[in-house]
Amino acid sequence: MSLFIVNILDGLVTGLLLFMLCSGLTLIFSMMGVLNFAHASFYMLGAYFAYQISMFTGFWAGLIVAPIIVGVMGALIERYGLRRVHQYGHVPELIFTFGLALLIEEFVQFFWGRQQVPYNPPEALDFTAFAIAGNTFPAYKVFMIFMAIALFLVLLYILTRTRVGMTIQAALSYPETVQNLGHNVPMVFMGVFGVGTAMAGLAGVIAGPVMGTFPGMAFTLGAIVFVCIVVGGLGSLWGALVASLLIGWMQTFAASYNLRMEDLLIWLGFEKPTLMWESAWQDLWTLTLPQVGPILPYLFMVIVLVVRPQGLFGKRET
Amino acid sequence: MSTPSTNPLTAGTSRLVPLNHALPWIIAAVALFLLPVIFDSRAALTIMNQMAITIVFALAYNMLLGQGGMLSFGHAVYMGLGGFFSMHVLNWMSDDPWLPLPVLPIFGGFFGLLFAFLIGWFSTRRAGTTFAMISLGVGQLVASLSIIIVIFFGGEEGISGNRTDMLPFFGWDFGQQQEVYYLTAVWLLIAALGMYLYSRTPMGRLANAVRDNEERAEFLGYSQRNVRWISFCASGFFAGIAGALFAINFEILTEENLNLATSGSILLVTFLGGVGFFIGPIIGAIVFTLLQTVLSLHTEIWALYVGILFVATVMFFPFGLTGLLALHVMPWKLGKIGYLVKPYAKMAVPTLAFILSTAAVLEILFHARHAGRGDNEMTIYWWLTFDSHSPLPMIIGLVIAGVSAYALVKLAPGLKAAWDEATHMGEAGK
Amino acid sequence: MTAAAIELRNLNKSFGLAKIIQDVNLEITKGERHAIIGPNGAGKSTLFNLITGKYAPTTGQVLLHGQDVSGKKPFEINRMGLSRSFQITNIFHKMTVFENVRCGLLWSMGYKYNFWTMVNGQRELTRRTDEILEQINLTKRRDMLAGALAYAEQRALEIGITIAGGADIIMLDEPCAGMSHSETDLIVDLIRKVTEEKTLVVVEHDMGVIFDLADRISVLVYGEIIETDTPERVRASKAVQEAYLGTTLEEEAS
Repeated sequence: MSLFIVNILDGLVTGLLLFMLCSGLTLIFSMMGVLNFAHASFYMLGAYFAYQISMFTGFWAGLIVAPIIVGVMGALIERYGLRRVHQYGHVPELIFTFGLALLIEEFVQFFWGRQQVPYNPPEALDFTAFAIAGNTFPAYKVFMIFMAIALFLVLLYILTRTRVGMTIQAALSYPETVQNLGHNVPMVFMGVFGVGTAMAGLAGVIAGPVMGTFPGMAFTLGAIVFVCIVVGGLGSLWGALVASLLIGWMQTFAASYNLRMEDLLIWLGFEKPTLMWESAWQDLWTLTLPQVGPILPYLFMVIVLVVRPQGLFGKRET
Repeated sequence: MSTPSTNPLTAGTSRLVPLNHALPWIIAAVALFLLPVIFDSRAALTIMNQMAITIVFALAYNMLLGQGGMLSFGHAVYMGLGGFFSMHVLNWMSDDPWLPLPVLPIFGGFFGLLFAFLIGWFSTRRAGTTFAMISLGVGQLVASLSIIIVIFFGGEEGISGNRTDMLPFFGWDFGQQQEVYYLTAVWLLIAALGMYLYSRTPMGRLANAVRDNEERAEFLGYSQRNVRWISFCASGFFAGIAGALFAINFEILTEENLNLATSGSILLVTFLGGVGFFIGPIIGAIVFTLLQTVLSLHTEIWALYVGILFVATVMFFPFGLTGLLALHVMPWKLGKIGYLVKPYAKMAVPTLAFILSTAAVLEILFHARHAGRGDNEMTIYWWLTFDSHSPLPMIIGLVIAGVSAYALVKLAPGLKAAWDEATHMGEAGK
Repeated sequence: MTAAAIELRNLNKSFGLAKIIQDVNLEITKGERHAIIGPNGAGKSTLFNLITGKYAPTTGQVLLHGQDVSGKKPFEINRMGLSRSFQITNIFHKMTVFENVRCGLLWSMGYKYNFWTMVNGQRELTRRTDEILEQINLTKRRDMLAGALAYAEQRALEIGITIAGGADIIMLDEPCAGMSHSETDLIVDLIRKVTEEKTLVVVEHDMGVIFDLADRISVLVYGEIIETDTPERVRASKAVQEAYLGTTLEEEAS
């Protein structure tokens, strides 16, 4: 039971982290129609910038400065890159962001090398927050949960209480009206792209110390983020939230319960082959839950799409 | 402009293949036959084989991207699965072979087709972004499964086989690199011709129609989903052939043949070559393979250069290398290609200076950050040796880059004027 | 008795709370040229999209030749002999004019999803495509990219693609939108020529076109049909004139 609670909390951390990326991605997608393939790369940049800054000034300055740098970079890329490619259509846009993702990974390797860099939680948070029957929960993860929730409250406030937020919301509900918003549309696009990437950067800053800061971190998480977006329904914020949490828990639970296929098969009445390495079903017999954990999100996505092509919260099939 | 009655297609002739259509194929066949006579080293043969495989895969990929407007981030799956199955067929036959090696690609093709059929069933229901994301998810799924299902994929080590185990084919047992080359080349011709002809069937034309305007196609009696599905299957078939050729050439397949890196690089190759042209992927595959071979021999950061080249292509030349060449067709036809020689010649030096100096700056930076302690000396461009930690080489590099960039900006209007001149007058002359 | 070409029974369509089409009943007989007019926002395009299968009705039925087609996909409805054009030019921009028309012919000539014959070698297909190009006066533009055509030519091509498949019900959505007077006259002649002995349903703003072309006219106001009659009687109808608030049809028609 105690392990269960810790897993719920761990899964929440992963799920909220995923949603920090998904929400920015969804905002950008709904406004501009571009699925930013490089979104997770900005998350990676956030972690690396924060690491670099933390070497000079410590963790807390990085927490504030790194997302700002990432956001400004994002806005500039929108202004001078994406806007140029926009005229060619959506597929070239997607290809552009894909190229960007490759390029950012190469640049990260160029500056910081191929190995993981030692980016660690601040000492102030390096203690155990609480323990449930021997299962410890670090304070840094509590901090992550609070950061994520605080970010959403701010986002929610901006979206529902400010003029800019109302405009964005209108654009979210009626994408075709975006063109009618007036002359400041390019500015709004640049702003939304900047804020969205800054959110990804912030996610990177706080996730880097826990998930590891290495050149592959963008593609590792990025693929899962896209699964969340597709499962939740492209363009649906609520769908993204639900899918992020589901997948967060799915991965955490799969990693910590060592269920073995062998037990299940025996329970079902199959006989265990005596010479396992000659059996055609060896992989099935030796399968464990932690082993399949990493593929569960993709499997989940395929199943959801077969049953509901528009995703869990997607509106229409067009 | 021709009127219908004088059009070669409708006027009495019943010749199925006009000579001017067959000529490029004949030239290609002769070239493929002669190439190993000119480049007969083992390394050259390996590179040419790799090129041929990449061409088949890129052409198959362009059936989706160029003809069908479908962007896939997981097409390595069909090539990889085709390859894995071919390898199993090869190993299964090794004890008691009853087929010669050259038929193996057919197996690869059909397994690629089978999986494209199954996965296409749900992935082609939608186009655009959704299709791209599903292809990514399925690609990741299959790549991760390949680590788990050891009995089929061989886990981390992958699976291997021996191509000489199958029946000899007219005395060839394919132990020689050159024999493998001819096998690959023949299959390259078959596959390329097959894909070319496919693009000229009703299905090929409809793939274009659905790409341009899926709604209109629906109102002409065609289910956009079925059109995409069939294109997807055809592409999977040819990708599977490429996979089998890979299996024959390298005799080993691993998770790497299925993963995102492979899927991404074929997108890169195809786009670099030009998605709007049948020949685009061919040019892309040749240039990319050469670039990769040459760059990776000389620099550690070659992937960075390729990345920059790719992003620059998407931003400035969305029709790729072939598109760039095609731009010159009009001045050529007008006999005004000469107008461009001078401005091009003027720009050549600054362009070269800009590329070389920028690369030098990157190399110095990289060396300064990553070379071992005490290893400060570096050499670039074969004869330039200096201390990478001293600021002077860096400053010189930056100055050259800056000056040449300035020169390029200054020369650009001249090129534009010449370009307008070379294409404009033709409008009136037509 | 033969069934009407198109029959609408108690057709309703709502988007959220907004009722766009309310209890529309209409019969269009075979060979009739029928026009649907109405003020802006009356729901003409929605009605059009309901008949052609782009939208599914909320309640009610659409019958083609007596067969219920509600909820069928556009391509299924097309195969039952209905073809439509679009208000906003909807052609294959990156294909040649010739290919655009040929795409319209493929299904009806039985090619289906054929991937084993060369299209260019099909003489009957080429002949019929050229015939249609001749009809729509685009023979000279045969090998141009459709996206490079002038606007009026694109509209003509749009009609060419629509009629190519030989459907017996042709639906045209504002075929003369955005055209000059002389261009409009040409297009109207073209429409008359290519829809001979076919059922034609046309939505149009240009009253001159309508009164010239149609056998019967339906007037759609706020999602309801208030009048279906011959052009003369519609012109005289008090209810119709009121619906157009002050502007008499005479004025608009001139």
